[in-house]
Amino acid sequence: MEEYVGEIWHKLVTRVANKDHVEATVRLDEISKSASIFFRALGGDSGLTLSATPPTKHGARRSVMQRLAGSDERIELSWRDGETLRLPEEISLFSERELNRDLYFWLVALSAANIDESLAWIVRNQIATLHTIMRFPGLLPRYKRLVDALLSLRIDPAKLPTDEAAQELAIRQALQEPGSVKVLPLAKKPFQPVQLWTHPYPPVSIVSNVSVGEGAPERESSDNTNAVKSRRKHKADRTEMPDGKDGFLMMFRAESLFSWTEYINVNRPQDEEDDLESAALAAEDMDSLTVARDGETSVAKLRFDLDLPPAGEDDTPLGEGVSLPEWDYKKQMIQLDYCRLQELVSSHVNTYELPSQLRKTARRIRSQFQALAPARVWLKQQQDGEDIDLDAWVRHESDLLSGLHADGRGLFRAQVNQQRDLACLLLADLSLSTDAYASDSARVIDVIRDSLFLFSEALSATGDHFAMYGFSSLKRANVRFHKLKGFDERYDSLIRGRIQSIKPGYYTRMGAAIRHASTLLAEQSQQQRLLLILSDGKPNDLDRYEGRYGIEDTRMAIHEAQQLGLQPFCVTIDLHANEYLPHLFGVNGYAVIRNPDDLPKELPLLYAQMTR
Amino acid sequence: MDNLPYYQTHGSEVEVFERAWRNKLPLLIKGPTGCGKTRFIAYMAAKLGLPLYTVSCHDDLTAADLVGRHLIVDGQTVWTDGPLTRAVREGGICYLDEVVEARKDTTVVLHPLADDRRVLPIDRTGELLEAPPSFMLVVSYNPGYQNFLKGLKPSTRQRFISLAFDFPAAGLEESILIGETSIDSMTAKRLVSIANAFRSLRDHDLEEVASTRLLVYAATLIKDGCEPTLACHSALVETLTDDPETALALREVIDATFGK
Repeated sequence: MEEYVGEIWHKLVTRVANKDHVEATVRLDEISKSASIFFRALGGDSGLTLSATPPTKHGARRSVMQRLAGSDERIELSWRDGETLRLPEEISLFSERELNRDLYFWLVALSAANIDESLAWIVRNQIATLHTIMRFPGLLPRYKRLVDALLSLRIDPAKLPTDEAAQELAIRQALQEPGSVKVLPLAKKPFQPVQLWTHPYPPVSIVSNVSVGEGAPERESSDNTNAVKSRRKHKADRTEMPDGKDGFLMMFRAESLFSWTEYINVNRPQDEEDDLESAALAAEDMDSLTVARDGETSVAKLRFDLDLPPAGEDDTPLGEGVSLPEWDYKKQMIQLDYCRLQELVSSHVNTYELPSQLRKTARRIRSQFQALAPARVWLKQQQDGEDIDLDAWVRHESDLLSGLHADGRGLFRAQVNQQRDLACLLLADLSLSTDAYASDSARVIDVIRDSLFLFSEALSATGDHFAMYGFSSLKRANVRFHKLKGFDERYDSLIRGRIQSIKPGYYTRMGAAIRHASTLLAEQSQQQRLLLILSDGKPNDLDRYEGRYGIEDTRMAIHEAQQLGLQPFCVTIDLHANEYLPHLFGVNGYAVIRNPDDLPKELPLLYAQMTR
Repeated sequence: MDNLPYYQTHGSEVEVFERAWRNKLPLLIKGPTGCGKTRFIAYMAAKLGLPLYTVSCHDDLTAADLVGRHLIVDGQTVWTDGPLTRAVREGGICYLDEVVEARKDTTVVLHPLADDRRVLPIDRTGELLEAPPSFMLVVSYNPGYQNFLKGLKPSTRQRFISLAFDFPAAGLEESILIGETSIDSMTAKRLVSIANAFRSLRDHDLEEVASTRLLVYAATLIKDGCEPTLACHSALVETLTDDPETALALREVIDATFGK
């Protein structure tokens, strides 16, 4: 009963206090693609990804009702760092949907302006506003509408104590006449947040805190198992692993309610497995999540041993290994001989027939590909053929008439199968993330395996020249490049055995793998050379190969492949791929498969479209 | 000189062209579509007072299409010159537009013309045409096209002086718009600002970006009384993309420039 009444009270009081306009809400998801293109068009850095911002406490004055309801304590403000442009997950500030949408685009435009970050918050935002409006004068009416709407929502300065009133007046003036306010007067309480401007104290960039190199893996829980669908990234403060001497050990569950946010090194593996959902809820309420570089992470799933297998157990290495360069975008230079790549072929492979559940599909795909691949064309000027080549005949007759030597050959046209002159190298991501479940029944790796089977079936039906490799990595010294089928090998039961034996492992150092695959493909003499990359997520490895570093290196590797005259194309099942793949592969260089189960069937079709 | 086509110089391309022509060197022009390559050639031909033969290359273009062929007329065969032969005979400019589109064997007929021999052998008539000093061979291609099957053979490419074209700087492009359509300078400025915003999306969100030609189209619509945002939507947004979300973002850029 107590709980019931409490719930009703909570609903009632939050509804009264909540000034948000739910019916006019605009969500980031709805506009994220347009917003990121808009950002780039306005001169924003094309390497940035768009992401939702975590709410931060503002500490400013709230109305009595808001305080009573305990709402509006935190606010989502936009900011950007070297990796990400962060925008509120949803905006429902104004009662009109159009205004909320305008606010999104205004924030994007404001973030695209490159303003000296060291300037005071109030000055920086005014300059950014002026700069934006000067470059895009059409934004002025929109800005004015937003300012008017915002001012009507802010607490009237007449109702505030003198110091806060002075502050509020300064902010109002800065909004109405940007450029006119030089300093923000001081007040005891923090000022009310200004939704039209960027974050006053953006949390420090996550990546800059990362110690380069050593460290155990980290995984975002949302990637796996019960994917928490929120796009909101928590401010992750990376904390050194405390040595345990000066911390206190938490004894009672009740206390944890208050101290969830504090990092405590308690060895408590996998205990949140049961209540991942409530943990997710708790996490939504947190200001920041503390992630330590320690073996155990917040998802129970990742129980694995990251040591490389002992030499006897491991796949057979092929050759000496290759040194490969890597691109460092911060230094804007290529680091020669930075990675070590080892080609491997799985040892102890048994021959293997096509899995029975794939046979039916395989048969269909084979017949489709046999019909589709060798296009029949008319060839002119043939020695003999079904039809007379009129052009050749006329030329022949006219040559005769003009007294030239005419040998009377090549006067027919013939219908023949034209050779497809193309080579394709398929590079599959075999990192540990493929161990996750793609659907109720299958893991990503299973989907990839099936795709490889059907792809081989299709390509062997066309007679196209193809090779298949898989890759994973463990830091720069161990890029593992598994040979599944070389260009010189026939697709047979041994190859099927190798495909059957693929297993997930380690990380995704995509750049090195692409560089090596490009080298192999570039040696082929065919005219069209297709580098097909099968992936399930962003490039990622332990030694700083994450975030933008990994993306930029991969981008450079793709660029190098294009320079070699190869045609890179990426097929991914990562639903957030639209955030980074255009940057890597260009607008027509990739395809996202929404439902991973469709990948095995879709892949051959995509191939057919690409090579037709 | 009155009927000179309108052309706004970007840099030293006129000087390079004239020097190449005087010294009997062939010229290769590369640049994105709609940046003024064809207009430049037309301007130079008019400026130098030379006849201009333009051939738009395509993948069925044969050597005979360039050089010429015998036609049967009244039971008689008559030799008809192709545009290349005609240009050589008259000492004019032969301009092969998008030369990479032509089949590779076609471009080989250009070789003897494009080096110091400057001759055109015509197999069918047994003629060996020597190019007069005023003849000039100009080819162009668009390196932006992701054309993996075709590329200019190095042996062909190395016979030419090369000139790279790109979209003109903002100020110049504004004066081009004003020169072409006599639109007011404020609108010209805005159109160019939109185009440059779109151009920063090249290779990322857009495959092809707004060309000067498209801007001229937009300006023409505006000059005709069309509402500016509508003109930009029709001339720029819908031409450049089929993706609704990309189109939405491009419309936002236009609204941000012309106001809403």
